[in-house]
Amino acid sequence: MDQYAASMRRYVQYMLYVVALFVLGWGFTPYDSMFLGLILGSAFSFYNLWSMYTKMKQLGQAATGEKKVYSIGTLSRFAVGALAAIIAIRYPETFHLVGVIIGLMLTYIIILIDSLLQIRRL
Amino acid sequence: MALGSLAAAIAVGLAALGAAIGNALIVKSTLEGIARQPELKSTLQTIMFIGVALVEALPIIAVVIAFLVM
Repeated sequence: MDQYAASMRRYVQYMLYVVALFVLGWGFTPYDSMFLGLILGSAFSFYNLWSMYTKMKQLGQAATGEKKVYSIGTLSRFAVGALAAIIAIRYPETFHLVGVIIGLMLTYIIILIDSLLQIRRL
Repeated sequence: MALGSLAAAIAVGLAALGAAIGNALIVKSTLEGIARQPELKSTLQTIMFIGVALVEALPIIAVVIAFLVM
């Protein structure tokens, strides 16, 4: 497994741990809407992570001349953020907006923390 | 309502502009690096991934805030 795939695997692992914590919070604490918002945001964040991974991989292959690539999918990730916001605004009693925003940012927070840990390990 | 939509459009537009410039710089440097040393593709892809993720975090928040303003 190359370094890129290994780091992606690590991010997915951390994401799953955190989402499991959110599900426990939804089940065992009285803050239902907050944790549902976090779970919704994390689900969309997961899609963003996968989209980013596949597009970067294609871009790397394009650079070595194996494949063609036309975009890195930024617009589709913006659209996912907008969709999450629309759902949270449409159903405010079910999904807490702040939770959805934090959930959407979960991937980026995990990538930041993991890269800081990797730098410290070097 | 009209002013709210205008504010949202400006927020998203400026955020997208910033993200476009940031992503373009990251992708340009990475492609140059891969073209020069293809054996470092995996390492450079990891660094590009981290860079693109950090650049894209703020515009996505801007999109959400734009929807709130509307």
